[in-house]
Amino acid sequence: MADSVLVIGGGIAGIQASLDLASRGMNVYLVDENPSIGGRMAQLDKTFPTMDCSICILAPKMIECSRHPNIKLLTYSEVQEVKGSAGNFEVKILKKPRYVDEEKCTGCGTCAQSCPVEVPNEFDMNIGIRKAIHIPFLQAVPLKYLIDEENCLKCRLCERVCGAKAVNFDQKPETINLNVGSIIIASGFELFDSTKKSEYGYGRYRDVLTSMEFERMLSASGPTGGNLVRLADGKVPNTIVFIQCIGSRSSKDLPYCSSVCCMYATKEAILIKEHHPESEVYIFYIDLRAFGKGFQEFINRARDEYKIKYIEGHPSRIVEDPKTKNLQVHYEDVVEGDIKNIVADLVVLCPALIPRKGNEKLSKIMNVQLDELGFFKAKDSLLNPIDTNIPGIFICGYCQSPKDIPDSVAQASGAAARAAETIIQATQRGKR
Amino acid sequence: MEFEPKIVGFLCNWCSYAGADLAGVSRIQYPPNIRIVRVMCSGRIDPDFILETLIHGADGVLVMGCHPGDCHYIEGNLHAERKAKMLRNLIAETGLEPERMHLEWVSASEGARFAQLVKEFTDRITKLGPSPISGENPNKVILENLLAAKRTAGDFRLRVIVGRERELVEDKNAYGEKVPQEKLDELLSEAIKTEYTRNRIYNMLEKESLSVRELSKRLDLSTQDVLTNIVVMRKKGMLGVERIEGTTPIYMSLEVR
Amino acid sequence: MATPKKEIPRVGVFVCHCGINIGGVVKVSEVVEFAKTIPDVAYAEANLYTCSSEGISKIKEAIKKYNLNRVVVASCTPRTHEPLFRNACEEAGLNKYLFEMANIRDQCSWAHMHEPEKATTKAKDLVKMAVAKARLLEPQDEPEIDVTPSALVIGGGISGMTAALSMANQGFNVNIVEREPELGGMLAKLHMLCPNFEDASKALSSIVDAVKSNQKINVLTSSEVEDVKGFIGNFDVTVKKDDKPLKLNQGTIVVATGAENFEPINMYGYKSNENVLTQMQLEKLLKTGDLRKPDKVVMIQCVGAREEKGRQYCSRICCGVAIKNALIIKDLYPETELFIIFRDLQTYGQEYEACYTEAREKGVHFIKYTSSNPPEVSSNSEGKLTIKTYDAFLKEMVELESDLVVLSTPLIPQKDAEKLSKILKVPLGSDGFFFEAHVKLRPIDFATDGIFVCGSAHSPKDISESISQALGVASRAAIPMANKHVRADAITSIINEDLCSGCGTCVRICPYGAIQKNEIGIAQVTSVVCKGCGTCAASCPEKAITMRHFTDDQITAQALAALEG
Ligand SMILES: Cc1cc2nc3c(=O)[nH]c(=O)nc-3n(C[C@H](O)[C@H](O)[C@H](O)COP(=O)(O)OP(=O)(O)OC[C@H]3O[C@@H](n4cnc5c(N)ncnc54)[C@H](O)[C@@H]3O)c2cc1C
Ligand SMILES: Cc1cc2nc3c(=O)[nH]c(=O)nc-3n(C[C@H](O)[C@H](O)[C@H](O)COP(=O)(O)OP(=O)(O)OC[C@H]3O[C@@H](n4cnc5c(N)ncnc54)[C@H](O)[C@@H]3O)c2cc1C
Repeated sequence: MADSVLVIGGGIAGIQASLDLASRGMNVYLVDENPSIGGRMAQLDKTFPTMDCSICILAPKMIECSRHPNIKLLTYSEVQEVKGSAGNFEVKILKKPRYVDEEKCTGCGTCAQSCPVEVPNEFDMNIGIRKAIHIPFLQAVPLKYLIDEENCLKCRLCERVCGAKAVNFDQKPETINLNVGSIIIASGFELFDSTKKSEYGYGRYRDVLTSMEFERMLSASGPTGGNLVRLADGKVPNTIVFIQCIGSRSSKDLPYCSSVCCMYATKEAILIKEHHPESEVYIFYIDLRAFGKGFQEFINRARDEYKIKYIEGHPSRIVEDPKTKNLQVHYEDVVEGDIKNIVADLVVLCPALIPRKGNEKLSKIMNVQLDELGFFKAKDSLLNPIDTNIPGIFICGYCQSPKDIPDSVAQASGAAARAAETIIQATQRGKR
Repeated sequence: MEFEPKIVGFLCNWCSYAGADLAGVSRIQYPPNIRIVRVMCSGRIDPDFILETLIHGADGVLVMGCHPGDCHYIEGNLHAERKAKMLRNLIAETGLEPERMHLEWVSASEGARFAQLVKEFTDRITKLGPSPISGENPNKVILENLLAAKRTAGDFRLRVIVGRERELVEDKNAYGEKVPQEKLDELLSEAIKTEYTRNRIYNMLEKESLSVRELSKRLDLSTQDVLTNIVVMRKKGMLGVERIEGTTPIYMSLEVR
Repeated sequence: MATPKKEIPRVGVFVCHCGINIGGVVKVSEVVEFAKTIPDVAYAEANLYTCSSEGISKIKEAIKKYNLNRVVVASCTPRTHEPLFRNACEEAGLNKYLFEMANIRDQCSWAHMHEPEKATTKAKDLVKMAVAKARLLEPQDEPEIDVTPSALVIGGGISGMTAALSMANQGFNVNIVEREPELGGMLAKLHMLCPNFEDASKALSSIVDAVKSNQKINVLTSSEVEDVKGFIGNFDVTVKKDDKPLKLNQGTIVVATGAENFEPINMYGYKSNENVLTQMQLEKLLKTGDLRKPDKVVMIQCVGAREEKGRQYCSRICCGVAIKNALIIKDLYPETELFIIFRDLQTYGQEYEACYTEAREKGVHFIKYTSSNPPEVSSNSEGKLTIKTYDAFLKEMVELESDLVVLSTPLIPQKDAEKLSKILKVPLGSDGFFFEAHVKLRPIDFATDGIFVCGSAHSPKDISESISQALGVASRAAIPMANKHVRADAITSIINEDLCSGCGTCVRICPYGAIQKNEIGIAQVTSVVCKGCGTCAASCPEKAITMRHFTDDQITAQALAALEG
């Protein structure tokens, strides 16, 4: 129907846009390439600066999306083709086979218990494990299992134990044709590959983690049950070092600031202190960016109450002691002017948050422009931050420019308003 | 037979109940003694519910809500905390172990924490043993006291103080002043003691009309205490004189709403 | 309210095996047999999956066949499955609030996998508890109220105008109330705009024209909001325009009152030396073309912001603004030497960081100071200014001479923000800006339904962020207006007027402003505003408040059922 909207990306931005549109009576197709909606926010433990539990506040919204009569969830799906113009886009969606009938699956999980294949769990940033038949995480929406074809042994045990007879190895990819009046892109971000900064040993040293891996480790429902441990030896880390701007604000790699890292590092640091008050936490930064509402106050609390140590500077390298697995962090003390080092038990890298690789494909399919970095380009970054070069196609959330959750939510509602305007005016034109 | 405590849990829908679900989904095992009642917000939990549950012989009552700051209804959990504080003080007066009522925060992602807290609480209650008012031979004194406590928790004055605590301490009272927390705590514990005493007197007189001396003996209170309270209670229309024996008035409870 | 005729409860109980998830631990058949013995249970059965389409039709059939008037499903969690089963009831002609769930999977079979006996006992108890509540359940409806499809926008800056235009384009009438004689707000005072150097006057005139020519928008300048009564859908607003009162009936309200720019009286020689300016004053000089060529300009950041005590917050835009104006001066007078003395440079995102890089490439000097060593400004007899500052990179004090010192000062709350917050009954945060319903997920709503906030009234932000929020508000406010009505939750509180003493405890406690006193001082609930937490009921000194669907009787009955037997 032409009074429908296609939302691409089911992170917090896509969810918010969908709910706004659906609750005013418009139809929404919410497409996510992942098997569950939720995006990055589902992976977070707490959120700065309020320390709200992330899944607690997100899950009700996810569930609302799945229940809403005006929202059709198309997960594990990709946009293949877009034709037409504002008020009348024709869209082809490819729904990948889950090998589990979504209608029949009750989400009970018996299948996964019997599945003999264990593989690293992407949702847990590969720290934990999952089965070949799985849901990405326990609060997944839709709560429907899927078989990861690549790792499945086809032993068909799952098929045998499934009381609902939902497993179906004959499922085929399905093409869905939609007619929508407007499109909202909310494809979010991914992480810069920290192995590119070989001086920090990510990928070589077990306890040099990315912030997202660390976030999963902090999460009570994560792979370590919220327990802080060194992956090298299972010990509780006492000295933890955060390094900002891995790949960002750099003429060599990415020239921009990811906008959220100073804050989430502070959040993660506070969480460490809440777990283990006696631990020592250092945050290396270039400029401490605390520009949002309540942010500076949050940093002040971290420094004064939690005794988190902020050090200005960018460490030059990390060396692991092969025996103790301790990590020597070498840096120049900007204040005192000498070369120093800290021996850390664990190091958290805060990598640049970069545009999704898939943006290029979306850009080609829809003719929407990307900026030179690969973010979706606004029609006018100052006065028209939500419109694209194509009328009727709008952008919101991190895929437009780096931003935190509240800014993504506000912008997502903004995109919903623009999409609604498009449809309402197209309908009026149609009537005339 | 081994003692299997009966525990009733009052959980808020958004965080703690979701945390309990997550414990299950994650197959984290915990003792099966708890029976959960779901409410929308921990702020909904009237002290009455807890006392009523204890009066009916629950060995423990576990109240759970969202962590401070996480409340789906902004600050219902903080109201729950104030009520719990009042209840702890009140239960302590009755002779029942106040630990039988416990408040905890659990978020929707803390399945393991939920299981752990339930286990700890169950262990604690198992150690305490059966509630003195459960079983064949309930302790009559404590039961009477709890009934008086329940009346007390329903008392207008206490409910006003607890309901308004946040406003008085953090905002301003009618004279534009803030009340210091200590002062309010003092006021509250004073109010708890007095109202509880009055309700014990009231409940006692409901069953049997008595003199001041007899009341003071049965309730283990000084005659002075009993008398002062009787004066106030008569003013409030809670008590009346049934008859005069010689010069000794014999009091009785009057029906109040 | 008409009291429904008391009917004898006939409860149907459906116990789910959930494949082996429940059935593998709990003896489902035993639970079913037990359920049949509970008073008022008229029917009980087991299902392999109650939530499957087969299970659902069984519920519907049983409702008809056994004349059931209450339904209990013992399966998983109501958090995900209650709506499904409620629908089934509704489809069978039963009010959906006559349904209750017992969570015998997530909170029983899964949590006590190795204790089948005890899990079965617990499952029975949970069913008994659910039945105890179900027996007392009453049908509820979700009343609707009409919404006037018209919005009031308070403040005619870029945020207010953007929100108004979008709402008008969505078909709603809008009234903009602007205190000043002209629309435009802060934007009207600016020269060029970072981060992309658009001309502020051009940007302004295009939107002002669009607003003025839009037939759905009524602009009230030199006006202020005097009084607001009512609630979502029907706000009765009194506006004072040119000292005359004007009454408006509005469905929703948008707060877009912006912010002021802090005046650094007594700081760094401001006011005492005419060559010490704020960025705001510099904008004016640039706009009018009155800036004579300076040899040197020094800009100082965080003047009156990010203080240890007092104004702790960062004003977000000042680093970008300073760099913008430095680049503009560099463009006008390439020989002018420029220094920006800063603490932490807040050039977040792509574009501000690019401006920063450009400024460095063009020779703007950046000197970092620390809050413990703030710069000092003094002037000699010829009016030349000397700036002494600690340089955190060189680790020493440096001294600069300059013709001009420009102070970057923060956006601060409007002086009358508190007055407006009282009129609207919405809160301010500790920083004095309007405080949203939820910092993370409801950043532009107020906790009070039907009132929204955007732009720098919420916190300092640049124009593109203000526009994003303004459009966001245009969506949030459109929801009730597009639906033409709001549907109240059924789970709300009701007040027994005979018991209410008018003490006002509930009025204070309600976080949504859903309870007000009426003319005779008795509390009254606006059900569309009530969110159903029930804190009022648990706190009412007179016990005059009943929570629908979670009444005292229902909750206690459920709890006590756990203790029987
Ligand atoms: C370690 C870390 C901690 C953080 N902590 C906080 C915090 O505490 N507070 C805070 O406010 N912010 C925090 N953030 C930032 C926050 O994660 C983002 O602001 C937020 O997730 C942006 O939401 P989004 O919806 O725009 O994008 P995402 O969350 O990335 O969601 C995008 C969605 O789109 C889908 N998608 C992508 N491409 C396609 C495609 N081509 N087709 C279909 N679907 C597609 C993805 O699968 C995903 O579900 C943190 C970030 C990191 C990295
Ligand atoms: C020196 C300086 C330079 C800046 N440069 C840039 C820049 O280059 N780029 C950029 O993006 N941003 C810049 N900004 C920020 C920009 O000004 C704000 O982002 C923008 O003005 C916010 O718009 P607003 O509509 O929310 O608020 P405002 O512009 O403040 O508008 C609020 C309006 O509400 C009216 N009002 C207030 N109270 C009431 C009331 N009670 N009743 C009725 N009406 C009321 C006011 O009169 C005003 O018209 C700069 C700010 C400053 C101080």
